[in-house]
Amino acid sequence: MRKVALIGAGVSKFGVRKASYRDLIWEAGKACFDAAPAVKPKDVEGLVVGSVMPERTAFQSHISSMAAEALGIRPSALSARTEHMCASGTVGIRYAYAFIAAGLADLVMVLGVEKLNQPSGDEAILNMGTGVDREWEASFGLTAPPCFALAAQCHIAEYGTTEEQLAMVGVKNHTHAAKNPNAHFQRGATLEQVLGSRMISSPLRLFMCSPITDGAAAVLIASEERARALTDKPVWIRGTGQALDGFQLTSLHEDYAHWPALARAAQSAYGMAGVRPQDVDVAEVHDCFAIAELIAYEELGFCPKGEAGAFVADGRSDYGGDVVVNPRGGLIGCGHPLGATGVAQAAEVFAQLRGEAGARQVPDASIGLTHNNSGMGEHVVMIYGRERR
Amino acid sequence: MSYFRATDPFPLESAEHTKLHEFYARLAVGRLATTRCATCRRLAWPPRAFCGECGSDRFDWVDLSGEGKIHAFTIQEVGLPAGFVGPRVFAIVKVDGLRVFSVLVDAEPAKVAIGQTVRLSPLRVADDPNGNARWLPAFRLA
Ligand SMILES: [Zn+2]
Repeated sequence: MRKVALIGAGVSKFGVRKASYRDLIWEAGKACFDAAPAVKPKDVEGLVVGSVMPERTAFQSHISSMAAEALGIRPSALSARTEHMCASGTVGIRYAYAFIAAGLADLVMVLGVEKLNQPSGDEAILNMGTGVDREWEASFGLTAPPCFALAAQCHIAEYGTTEEQLAMVGVKNHTHAAKNPNAHFQRGATLEQVLGSRMISSPLRLFMCSPITDGAAAVLIASEERARALTDKPVWIRGTGQALDGFQLTSLHEDYAHWPALARAAQSAYGMAGVRPQDVDVAEVHDCFAIAELIAYEELGFCPKGEAGAFVADGRSDYGGDVVVNPRGGLIGCGHPLGATGVAQAAEVFAQLRGEAGARQVPDASIGLTHNNSGMGEHVVMIYGRERR
Repeated sequence: MSYFRATDPFPLESAEHTKLHEFYARLAVGRLATTRCATCRRLAWPPRAFCGECGSDRFDWVDLSGEGKIHAFTIQEVGLPAGFVGPRVFAIVKVDGLRVFSVLVDAEPAKVAIGQTVRLSPLRVADDPNGNARWLPAFRLA
C-alpha cells in the first residue's frame, strides 16, 4: 500500500450558529484550503462528506455533490457521503485513506458537517433517537445520555470511580476549550460548577455531557508523492482500526464498563503504526460524555482497567502528564456536531504534530491518536505521526 | 417554533407491516414472547426473523416468564426526545437469561435498585396511523 498523509486541515467556529448548513461547509473548506495554500479546489480529485442527519436538519440529501459544488471541487476519482452516526467523520477519513493507499486517488478532501440547531436543539434530540434501534430502543425514548449513564453506573459500581473523577474530565476539557477560539464553550469550568450542574441522566451532569452544536471541519489527504510536492510538513496516517461489539445495548458486553471493540480497534491501529500506547503524545478521544473518556483511557492502554478515575485526577491526561487528551477541548468543550467531530479531531492532531497549535501546543508532539465512536459498541481509532516510518 | 415536527417514534406492529407481529399480538394480552431459531434452536432477544448464527429464516415463538431482575438502570431527568417526559427510568432487565432493554413505569426513582424484581407491564402507546392499538414491552417493580 502507498503511504498517505494529511496536508491541510481547518474547522469552522463550533456553537449554536446563525449559519446555514452550506455556510458551515464554506467556512471549513475555506479554513482547510487556507492551511494548504498550494492546493486549489480544482486540484482535489475526491470528496468524502461525513454527515448524519441533514435529511431532517437541512432537508437535504445528495450531500457530497452539494458540498463539492459549494467548494468548487469536481471529483474525478471519489465522491461519497459517510453516515455512521457519531463516527461518520473518521469513517470518511478511512475511505479516503484506503482509496489513496490503493492508488485510486492522489488528493481527497474529507469534510464533516452538521447543522443541529435547526431551528432548535429539540430537533437534534429527536433525531438522535435514529442512532439507536428504533423498534427496541428509541421507541422508549432512548437517546445517547442514558446509554453512557449505564456505563458510568457500571464503572462506579465495579471500580469505585467517583462523581468527582467524572467531573474532572469536564473541568479539564472545558479548561482546554477556553484556549480554542473555535470551541462551543470558552469560559472553562470549576469542579464545583461541574458537580453543581443539572443532572441529565444519573450520574451524568450537564457539564459532563457534550452539547448540541453546529459545525464543520475539513482535511486534505494525499499520496506520498503529492504530499511531498504540496507541503514540507505532512502528517502521516500511520495506522487505523475499526471494530464493533454490537448495535443494540443488549448486544454489547454485559458489563458496560468494558468496551472490547475499542481495545480491538486500538490494537489494529497500534499494530499497523508500530507504536505502543505509551508512545502517544496527544490523543483526541470521543468524550461525548465524561465516562467515555475514562473508559477510552483504559481500552486505549493509557492506564490499566479500572484506574481511569485516578488517571484523570492525578493529571496524567493533561499537560505535563503521560498523554495530553483532548487539547482542543473534546466534545464536551468544543461541542459535538456529529459528522464534523472525527474530522475536527484529525484537524487538531494535524496542528499539534506540525507544532501549529498555538496556546494549546503539546510540546514536541510526534505521535497523535484519534478515537471516534458510534455508541459504546462501535469504535474507530487513527494514529498519526510526524515521521513517515 | 412551529418549524419543528416530530415523526411517529413507535414501530408499525400490525401483521401487514412486520414479521414480528406475533410478538405484539401476545404483548397486547400480557405475554412476553420471543423467537427461537427452528434450525439451531438459539433463543434470541429481541425477536428476529433471520438467525445471525446459522442463517435460517425459520423460527418459532416462545413465551418468556415476564418476570426479571434489574441488571442496570439510569434515570434521565431532562433532554428526552419530544413526546417523552422525565424523570424516566431506563433499565436493562434480565429475563430468563436474556438481557432486555426497557423502561420502568410508575417507578419512584428513589426506590429503584439493581437486583430488584420487575414484572412485564405492557405500555399502551399512540395508535398507528390506521387506528390499530400499539404496545411496548415495559416493566414495573414487582
Ligand atoms: Zn439459527
